[in-house]
Amino acid sequence: MSTEEYPEIEITLNVNGKDYTVKVKPYERLLDVLRYKLGLTSVKEGCGRGECGTCAVIMDGKLVASCLVLAVQARGKKILTLEGLTPPGKLHAIQKALLDTYAMQCGFCFPGVIMAMKSLLDRNPDPTEDEIREALSGNLCRCGSYLRFIKAAKLAAEYIRKGQVYFEFKG
Amino acid sequence: MDLSGLKDKLSYVRKVNGNIAIGALTTPEDLAETFLHKDKKYLGFYDIYKKFASPILKPLATIGGNIGVAVSASDYLTFLLTLNAKVKLVSVEGERLVSLEELVVEKRTLAKDPNELIYEIIFPELPENYSTAFMKIDRREVIITGYITTAVCLKIEDNKIADVRIAFDRVNKRIPGRAKKTEEFLKGKEFSVDTIREAYNKVFPAEIVRKSDFRASGEYRLDLSKVLMKRTLLQAKSRIVEGV
Repeated sequence: MSTEEYPEIEITLNVNGKDYTVKVKPYERLLDVLRYKLGLTSVKEGCGRGECGTCAVIMDGKLVASCLVLAVQARGKKILTLEGLTPPGKLHAIQKALLDTYAMQCGFCFPGVIMAMKSLLDRNPDPTEDEIREALSGNLCRCGSYLRFIKAAKLAAEYIRKGQVYFEFKG
Repeated sequence: MDLSGLKDKLSYVRKVNGNIAIGALTTPEDLAETFLHKDKKYLGFYDIYKKFASPILKPLATIGGNIGVAVSASDYLTFLLTLNAKVKLVSVEGERLVSLEELVVEKRTLAKDPNELIYEIIFPELPENYSTAFMKIDRREVIITGYITTAVCLKIEDNKIADVRIAFDRVNKRIPGRAKKTEEFLKGKEFSVDTIREAYNKVFPAEIVRKSDFRASGEYRLDLSKVLMKRTLLQAKSRIVEGV
């Protein structure tokens, strides 16, 4: 049987708090379903083999590479992408901190980096520099913003500890 | 084949009749929650975790998969060789237990039938006075295959090497293996840096083949192998004697 002949399976994914029912091939990656079927373009393909972190999403509270998860494996799990990080029109403390520290360059790695920071700060509100380095070690940034990511993660942690999780987006 | 539906059934660490059994779908992150990362005898598992892939892969990779790919970068495979691990294979025809050493015959080649699944990994519980260590060297800390990886399981009695098992990412095949002649040389001797030095200068080079490639020369790899053998043995001894 060629791959085109595999029957599609109907699955329901909970993405950013909302249930979506989609038809997928058994070999389809979560990355492709999120990006091309649900239009969540923050989820980007870099290496396609779990090494760059650009496609990182949070699945049931754990940071995972969506290029290495089959869509069918995500059935019944809660998935968070960058699009679901804030209410409409708001900036998350992590995004604010990245802007404040001028970490943004080309921005391709940002969705993955932000999800990695979110995963870290959810379990550790006051991380040390070593802990930040370790948490971001699976995210490659070819512009080389790594040192600013560390500053931004510390700043974001500070904002969140003060209760400032969301900021107005001024465009 | 997607086995994720069996995750609940095949993700566990259990003590059974003097053995420790790890379900094939147990991830490094799952292992980190168990006693294997806290008991000083099994801290080799903790060492692997610290250098395993990257945080984004630790909830996805499985110990069964690490063995199944059967390459020199299979860190759990290297380490489990020092624990004399066996693998339970299950198929519709029944189940059988095969030693890890016999199961992995060459790079990406397992001595199992296509319909057999890796079900669990079993190894004997370590008595007191044993400990383990694992080390990997590369240019970075994570997302690395390692120029060299080394794992040891050591028993010390009255400062003598009562038992020792040493595994490397490669010994004389393209898969992880044990340096058994070096182990035999070390057994029963006084634990000292001089003894280890004697072992890695006199015995070890005769049983290990280190090849050159675009990442490192064979000469450099052999030198690193000796260094890591010493460091892992010292680390394991420190864990036995000082508990750290």
